[in-house]
Amino acid sequence: MRDDMPSIPKSQTRAQRMDRFMAFTISGGGILIIGAVLAMLLFILKEAAPLFLPPLVRSAGTLQAPSSDGAWVDESGKAAVLLSKSEGLKALRLPGGAPLPVPVEGPALPWQALLPPDSRGECLVVGADGRLSVARLIWSKPPGENDPAQWQLEPHWLGGIRLEKVPLELLHFRLLEGGGLGGGSTLRVVARMQEGLAWAEAPLDATETLAWKPLQLDPSLHPTAAAWSADGRNLFVGTREGRLLDLDPETDGALSTAEFGEPIQSLGFTLGQMSLLVGGAQGKLAAYQLVRVNEVFQLQAFHGFPRLGGPVLGFQPSLRDKRFLAWTPSQAVVDHLTTERRLLSVQLDGRGVAALAPKGDLILHANQVSGTLGLWSLDAPHPEVSFGLLWGKTHYEGYEKSEYVWQSTGGTDDFESKFSLVPLVFGTLKGTLYAMLFAFPLAVLGALYTSQFASPRLRNTIKPTIEIMAALPSVVLGFLAGLVMAPLLERMAVGVLVYPFVVLLLAMLITPLWGKLPLPFRNAFGSGREVLWMVPILLTGVWLASLAGPWIEGAVMGGSYRTWLQSSMGVTYDQRNSLVVGFAMGFAVIPIIFTISEDALSSVPRSLTSASLACGASPWQTAWRVVLPTASPGIFSATMVGLGRAIGETMIVLMATGNTPIMDWSPFNGMRTLSANIAVEIPEAPLHGTLYRVLFLAAFLLFIFTFILNTVAELVRQRLRRRYESI
Amino acid sequence: MSRLAERFRQGGVFVWLSATVLAFCLAMIIGLVGYIAAKGMGYFWPSPLVQVQTPDGPILGEITGQQPTHGEEPAKTQFRVGNRDIYGQDFRWVPTADLSAPEFPKDALLIERLEYGPFIGRIVSLSHDGQPVATGPAAITEAASRLPETLRIRRHIQSIEKGQVGDLNRRIERIRLARRKLEEGRDASALQALDAKAAALQTTYDELQTSLEQSRSESKAWILGLQTVDGQTRDLPLGSVVRMVPANAMNRFDKLGVYLSRLWEFLADDPRESNTEGGIFPAIFGTVMMVLVMSVLVVPLGVITALYLREYARQGWVVRAVRVAVNNLAGVPSIVFGVFGLGFFVYSLGGTIDQLFFSDSLPTPTYGTGGILWASLTLSLLTVPVVVVATEEALGAVPRSQREASLAMGATKWQTLWNIVLPSATPGILTGLILAIARGAGEVAPLMLTGVVKLAPSMPLDGTFPFFHLDRKFMHLGFHIYDVGFQSPNSEAAKPMVFMASFLLLLVVVILNLFALNLRRKLRERLGGSTF
Repeated sequence: MRDDMPSIPKSQTRAQRMDRFMAFTISGGGILIIGAVLAMLLFILKEAAPLFLPPLVRSAGTLQAPSSDGAWVDESGKAAVLLSKSEGLKALRLPGGAPLPVPVEGPALPWQALLPPDSRGECLVVGADGRLSVARLIWSKPPGENDPAQWQLEPHWLGGIRLEKVPLELLHFRLLEGGGLGGGSTLRVVARMQEGLAWAEAPLDATETLAWKPLQLDPSLHPTAAAWSADGRNLFVGTREGRLLDLDPETDGALSTAEFGEPIQSLGFTLGQMSLLVGGAQGKLAAYQLVRVNEVFQLQAFHGFPRLGGPVLGFQPSLRDKRFLAWTPSQAVVDHLTTERRLLSVQLDGRGVAALAPKGDLILHANQVSGTLGLWSLDAPHPEVSFGLLWGKTHYEGYEKSEYVWQSTGGTDDFESKFSLVPLVFGTLKGTLYAMLFAFPLAVLGALYTSQFASPRLRNTIKPTIEIMAALPSVVLGFLAGLVMAPLLERMAVGVLVYPFVVLLLAMLITPLWGKLPLPFRNAFGSGREVLWMVPILLTGVWLASLAGPWIEGAVMGGSYRTWLQSSMGVTYDQRNSLVVGFAMGFAVIPIIFTISEDALSSVPRSLTSASLACGASPWQTAWRVVLPTASPGIFSATMVGLGRAIGETMIVLMATGNTPIMDWSPFNGMRTLSANIAVEIPEAPLHGTLYRVLFLAAFLLFIFTFILNTVAELVRQRLRRRYESI
Repeated sequence: MSRLAERFRQGGVFVWLSATVLAFCLAMIIGLVGYIAAKGMGYFWPSPLVQVQTPDGPILGEITGQQPTHGEEPAKTQFRVGNRDIYGQDFRWVPTADLSAPEFPKDALLIERLEYGPFIGRIVSLSHDGQPVATGPAAITEAASRLPETLRIRRHIQSIEKGQVGDLNRRIERIRLARRKLEEGRDASALQALDAKAAALQTTYDELQTSLEQSRSESKAWILGLQTVDGQTRDLPLGSVVRMVPANAMNRFDKLGVYLSRLWEFLADDPRESNTEGGIFPAIFGTVMMVLVMSVLVVPLGVITALYLREYARQGWVVRAVRVAVNNLAGVPSIVFGVFGLGFFVYSLGGTIDQLFFSDSLPTPTYGTGGILWASLTLSLLTVPVVVVATEEALGAVPRSQREASLAMGATKWQTLWNIVLPSATPGILTGLILAIARGAGEVAPLMLTGVVKLAPSMPLDGTFPFFHLDRKFMHLGFHIYDVGFQSPNSEAAKPMVFMASFLLLLVVVILNLFALNLRRKLRERLGGSTF
């Protein structure tokens, strides 16, 4: 059927094949590239998203186990140690429950009293012989060995102090390093005796009998729980009457008290031992801290947590972050102190002891009623961040009240990270505001002049010059701002601030004089070239301002503007401050606003301006009342683009401010912006850590914000273009 | 009065006002560029060494600054006195009123040396192996004649250290890695062969070290006896002298010689003293290298995208939206691109590459850390909108008649694009590329996250296989400015270097931009495109 058609030359088929191939390649490649570029946003979001994922809780099985009075989980989560008064130590492999060997030495069984191990594995035992020992539970692991069967449980038994009297219940103890005469540890212990609370202190290697010192409390109070402060100097006591006391045990004096609201059942600490956790007999849960108010330390309730069912039996902190375990006979929860988030909540059926693995990822509950052992795993990689923490005020440890704070890292392991983005957003807005205050009037007036009054030749030089300005590397601007301008401004701040007014005054003065000059001269040298005449005026302005600055400073401010600022307004002057940033960043923004505004202004249809001039309006009236309003969407769009640039600018802010995340509108202070914060912190942020993800969130915000600004600007510009075409 | 009000309403004042504002903007730009140029270029000219008496003793140095009376503070003069090893700081502020009349002693010298910044003082003697050779003025001439030889020896040592020693180190490292791999297989004979190789390399290494040691002691044999203006003495091996500048005894041509030699050192040498002295060649080289890699990546990306958007995609609201989105990417802060580059290229992509191909050297990352490839890729993403916009504009400006003529002759779409459209769009694409380069060369923030370092031990391009090392970290002019100006322990002494580096960067960026703008203007004139 096709035989009669002329055969297609080979080159043509090759051309067609090539054509189809290229069409495919370019379309595919184009879509791929566009997709990849837009996927940037998704990637950044993906990196930030785990911050807000709910924690993952899984039941890791139930085992049969002997009834126990204390439990401790190893850091790896692969082995647990159970302690019971009658049988001493037992070790289990997790999650299987196979018994592991335990050494036989230790205080004589049965133990008369036992204080269950804390997260570090330190516990207190009174043996059958009435001696008090501290045990430090330690797994000795061959390097690189992951199999618990190869590990050795090596409890370090310390002390063996003879007791004058065996207490009913041991409540809390602390080992104070270097307190003893020989530089060894000193033990401070508090216990409940027949007649009330008593405490004792002795070096661990004491040979004499330990004497209990009774605490003299108000007889109307019935203490139920007690705990030592981190330095062992204060004793916190909770009572059945719901009162929390901060005592100095040496003098028995109550330093401060707080009302809890219901009978206190147990006390505990979070990592760092700064926050005291208080659990009530009806399930109330709160955190207290000692805060210095008017030079006096006071107990302050600074975090509250959702109520539990039943009396809170105990607490255990994680050794990694500020999460802690609390349990009642019917419920076990893991809450995070800073965010008050509940990471885990599981149902229990009966009294028992619970333990949280030091990493906070495994919860064990030994039920004393049913003799079972429940295990749950908890996967909450970023508990220290919540929406409320990022955007709201949070009450941090050591702070008097709730505040917006950004302080991502601290010197110690138990540092409470403070991830409020508010100071950073504030800093960004502040920097942008000062930059726009400087740039907007200059750029728009400059563009108005260039488009309406400048002679064409002048215009053709001005525009490229300003466009070059847009290309100046911001690192150069930042360097000049930080190392040249900041010291200069510090020396002659008053003169610099006075300068614009001096120049404006001079410009006002010259106009009437100009009008006196002969018309031919004016026409030949003036119209369209006013800019050139302004150069001497600017220079005169510099001279006048440099005279006026010191004069004002001497006459009005009593010699030094810094002391004047400090005394009359309470404002401190930082060398690298918002004025410097505003100036430098304004410098970067001016060309952007200028170029787009100038384009919009000069594209205003001639018919409009001609009509206005024909009606007798002066050139300025035409420019101000006709051209400017017509082009205002273009100027708006220019401002949006300029805003976008100022918001994301990094190097200038990094170099020209002190980068302190403070919230203060004063132009003489620095700030820290979102972008500079990323540049400062992300090189040190551990991969996929909380800080890393928070910084990605900051990047996401910057992306979205600038993208929206630019899109709005673009849409406005397109509409304006269509309007111009229709006029 | 009413005439004044009328004039006010007419707005002549405001025209002048807006002219003032514009003049201010222009003055700022010109002032900034001029200031940097003057500060940077002036630094290398030998300034006279001034000797003055103060109540605290004599001072010899260059005058580097004046500060007028301010409030209660008296006017002050800043001297660069050098001798950081003796005085602890390079600069000194002295109240101008305390100064005696300045003298310009002919025998005063500024000696640039490898450590502690310049020495400013006099040469009193020259000795060789402890034997005095010359004293007084004779010592200066003798030292000056000996200097080229010691400079040659030092350069020789440097080239051995950098070339052969570095090469040997890399080979030994490769054997170590191979060994580690073999140890898992427990192949004894192969292990032995490797060990023999390693031993041979070690011998060569030791021999090199001995010969280096010899050269070093040779260069240390000549010792200059120096004396500061306040009578303190110092011995300085001639081997650590970079340049001797008796500024007061020089005529204009000598000074020009010093100027050019300093300029050359700045452009072509490695930095010294934590980047505050010496040259910035690695930074220039790193910047150029990075920009080249970026250009290679950004052109195909940008051109394909533009071709697709303009020629192949069905024109509708989707394409319009995509176009707006791509354009707006140009407004997304560069630090966001840096964050993306760090998270995606360095950690995700680089980490995967390391696991697949470089698992031997883990946990030391090869591609899983910042490097020139990742930095260039990040920057090419950052600049792709610039190329896309410019290319689209160029494609759109090709007259319809030309395309139709080509299609009417039976050419396929691709043939038309390749033979007709792209050639006439090339200048436009080039404009986009130049603008992209200018933007990329000046960016610092994303590079800080993806591979720039303050001091790179080796360049991304060198004589060892495979010659071009995309995984290496590099130095960059812009980052150099930030680092030396803000992270350096001695930023006052480093300021001129920063000015010079800024000037260089500014020069590159401004020239590129002027070139691109000119090209674009010509194109628009030829093709009559719109500006808004």
